[in-house]
Amino acid sequence: MPPAIAWMDEVAPEQAVSVCGAKMGRLAELLRAGVSLPRGFTVTVEAFRRHWDQAGLDEVADAALGGLGAEAGPAEIEAAAGAVRAELAGRDLGADLAALIGDAYEELSSRCFEINVPTAVRSSAIGEDSGTASFAGIFDTYLGVSGQDRVLDAVRQCWASLFNTRAVAYRLRAGTHHRDMPMAVGVVELIHARASGVAFSVHPVTGKTDRVVIETSWGWGEAVVQGLVTPDHVEVGKADGRVLKYQVADKTVVSAFDYAVGRVVETEMPARLVSRRVLDEEQIAAITDAVLAVERHYGYPVDVEWVLDRHRREGEPVCVVQARPVTVTAPQTAPTEWNPAAMAAKYVFGR
Amino acid sequence: MATVIPVDEFINDEWYPGFKPGYTHAPWYIDPVQTFRKEDEENFWFLDFHWPRGLTPMGLIWNEDGYNWSSQLAAEQMPLPPGRGITCRLGGTHTYGSPLPVTDVREIGQRARRLERMLPPFLQNFDEIWGHMREEVNESWDYFHGVDLSALSLADLRENLIQARQYHKRAFEIHFQVMYPLLANYVGFYSMCTELGLDPGQIGKFLQGYDTKIMETDRELWKLTSAARRAGLEQVFAAHEPDGIRAALAAHGGAASTWLTQFDDFLQVYGWRTEGSCDVALPSWIEDPTPALGTIKTFLLKDTDHDFEAARNAAAEEREAAVDAARSTLTLEEQKLFDGGLASCRAANFPWWQDDHNYYIDLRIALPMRWACQGIADRIGADHQDDTLYLFWEEIMDVSAGRRPYDAGLRSLVEQRKQYFDYWLKRRPTLPKVVGTIPESVNDPILIEIFGLNSHFLRAVEAASSGSQVKTLTGVPASKGTGRGIARVLHNADELHRLSPGEVLVCESTSPNWTPAFAKIAACVCDGGGTLSHAAIVGREYGVPTVTAVGLATMVISDGDEVEVDGTAGRVTVLKQIPNAQG
Repeated sequence: MPPAIAWMDEVAPEQAVSVCGAKMGRLAELLRAGVSLPRGFTVTVEAFRRHWDQAGLDEVADAALGGLGAEAGPAEIEAAAGAVRAELAGRDLGADLAALIGDAYEELSSRCFEINVPTAVRSSAIGEDSGTASFAGIFDTYLGVSGQDRVLDAVRQCWASLFNTRAVAYRLRAGTHHRDMPMAVGVVELIHARASGVAFSVHPVTGKTDRVVIETSWGWGEAVVQGLVTPDHVEVGKADGRVLKYQVADKTVVSAFDYAVGRVVETEMPARLVSRRVLDEEQIAAITDAVLAVERHYGYPVDVEWVLDRHRREGEPVCVVQARPVTVTAPQTAPTEWNPAAMAAKYVFGR
Repeated sequence: MATVIPVDEFINDEWYPGFKPGYTHAPWYIDPVQTFRKEDEENFWFLDFHWPRGLTPMGLIWNEDGYNWSSQLAAEQMPLPPGRGITCRLGGTHTYGSPLPVTDVREIGQRARRLERMLPPFLQNFDEIWGHMREEVNESWDYFHGVDLSALSLADLRENLIQARQYHKRAFEIHFQVMYPLLANYVGFYSMCTELGLDPGQIGKFLQGYDTKIMETDRELWKLTSAARRAGLEQVFAAHEPDGIRAALAAHGGAASTWLTQFDDFLQVYGWRTEGSCDVALPSWIEDPTPALGTIKTFLLKDTDHDFEAARNAAAEEREAAVDAARSTLTLEEQKLFDGGLASCRAANFPWWQDDHNYYIDLRIALPMRWACQGIADRIGADHQDDTLYLFWEEIMDVSAGRRPYDAGLRSLVEQRKQYFDYWLKRRPTLPKVVGTIPESVNDPILIEIFGLNSHFLRAVEAASSGSQVKTLTGVPASKGTGRGIARVLHNADELHRLSPGEVLVCESTSPNWTPAFAKIAACVCDGGGTLSHAAIVGREYGVPTVTAVGLATMVISDGDEVEVDGTAGRVTVLKQIPNAQG
């Protein structure tokens, strides 16, 4: 029987995605490629299936969702999906599974030399960002989850997010069955973020392949990823690592750790950080190195989410917490030599 | 639905009273100069800013030999792939230009391949090519300059006029043979820079700071200004209008007389030029030094002398800093492209040539024709020296050959034609800026860069003709900074005295005689032009926020409106409209 828990540094790279889902599986691959990652484990696809079967959720799902057609409206979908979510999150986990996850969490805490280590709990469904369908941002992520009970709860919320309204609607339209995208869940140590952001190994809008584009803000990356804040925008030349452009934005919202709630939450940015530049040259170079290492590993353009540890020292790598292929327009074929007639044709005579 | 502005008001067969075009006296290359016909409405026509006063009958020679011969010839020799140069139609005395398109895709492809072979060597060897051309132009200039017209018979004057026209025509062949390839290269570079994300306001700086003959003239004018200041002549300049300064200085005597001698020496070197461009009806500074004296009067208003050396060094430093700043934002791959384009544009520097060639061609090449016409006027007993400028080429040929007497009939025609000229001069401010069918885009580099017929311009025309309220206008950011003030909408340089310090100049376009105004205005807005038009260059030199190629500024903005000009963003906003002005 396949394991319910898979440690990132133990799972075989070639099986990583099928065992750990897309997101966590790719991270496990990258660990072998030498990219710096947070420590952690995955509650595997197998664990999800086990719970699903033990709880008899097939019947629940078939009954609730079976009647929905491709043209079902949002209210109709939400009524049906809500019923499945409630059962999925509410039914007893079973002593074995709960103990396995709880034990893995304690092991993670001890590996991090911390009691009740705060974690990031991330959905990692099979096929969630395959070439044809992107479920990016649809499934849940919880940052700053600490303690066995809270972790267990967050895992079940991630499972349930497989049936949130947007996901169900998306599958209805795409003609995908939920059974084809079982949900693994990653539990990794929460990096104490000084700053976070995304980095693209290709310009996400123009498709230019000669640069790395970085977007960043203070604190954790949720506010950037969800578009709640206008981040600093940085462009770096790939060939020589020179910073081509650094636009400092007014960053009004920050994802910060709320100790009272025990979670990372979105809150107002402290005034003295709003218009302060986030990254220095050395940090930009480390982020660029990381995204290019990921690109080299896969052999195609990627975007990564990265975190700058509060305790990181100069020269140390940044931590990658997510990586995926970029879906951009076809890369442009840029001219490499000045050719006056060709330029005139393009810019003067062409239109 | 394409926007169409009717041409009906211009449809008639008459150029000027008493003349029907016969098309026998002036060859054209693709399409002749004509009056408007209804079918012209299918094409796009723009009002040419070069002649804000309109053209006299003799002045129309420029249309025939400039646009309809030389531009069309140049567009075939070193082919513009989709264009055959420029043609024109007449709205009374005013010129509407239009690009002549090539529509056959196969032909466009072949022309593009020809251009691809011919353009690089032209650009690489530009110095030598332009050097030979300049030599040719100067050699003939020396010839015409050296002829003693007073010693010639009427028949010899006629022969001299024919030669002078041929010289004029050849000079404009050269003009367009250089202008098209240089502009194609420059506009290509400019557009590439824009696409690379470089600030359009900076691109003009990459090629600045090289000496031209026009700058040399300015420098001498500043020297004369210092001399006038040292001689204590400020009061004389301040107390008189430009056209009265010369007489006042002569009457003043003493130091003023010495200064006038210096001034005349200056004129002998730099005074063989007209104030506006390409018009046989305009006098040289030698003939009428008012513009030069007016410029010195304005220069004297400034407290300190202009340090040319410092200004040029600053321009060169600014150029290098702008290039460095631009390169720092480019990837290595982009830098390679940029460096190649910059090197090509420096070897064949359009902005430099644009200024320099005016001295050799546009501002002086019509003078030999003018002298011959005046000599003929003298010999046939015309009432005024300029009367022969109101004859058509065929008429002056007949009269000077003795085939037709300069009789009461012709004299009365000349008077009628002067009235016709004045009638159309008054209509100029209300003439439509464009007529015919507004295109999606224009692809003749001269029309894009010199006339500013870019997409901004075309969309502004469409918006205005659809009746929508235009409060904010956009154009080319030509000189950075923001200026705000009362708008003065001027239609030619004669009205410059209406400008008060701190006001915003709004006009179709400026030429060298508008320069003095830049010493006092808060901002400048032009219907036409680009980053290198006169207003853009002078605006940068004087630090006056300037937006060019706005399209319909002179129609949308009313004299007296309060406007804000953002020369960095290329935006003009009407803040307050004066009451009773139509929007």
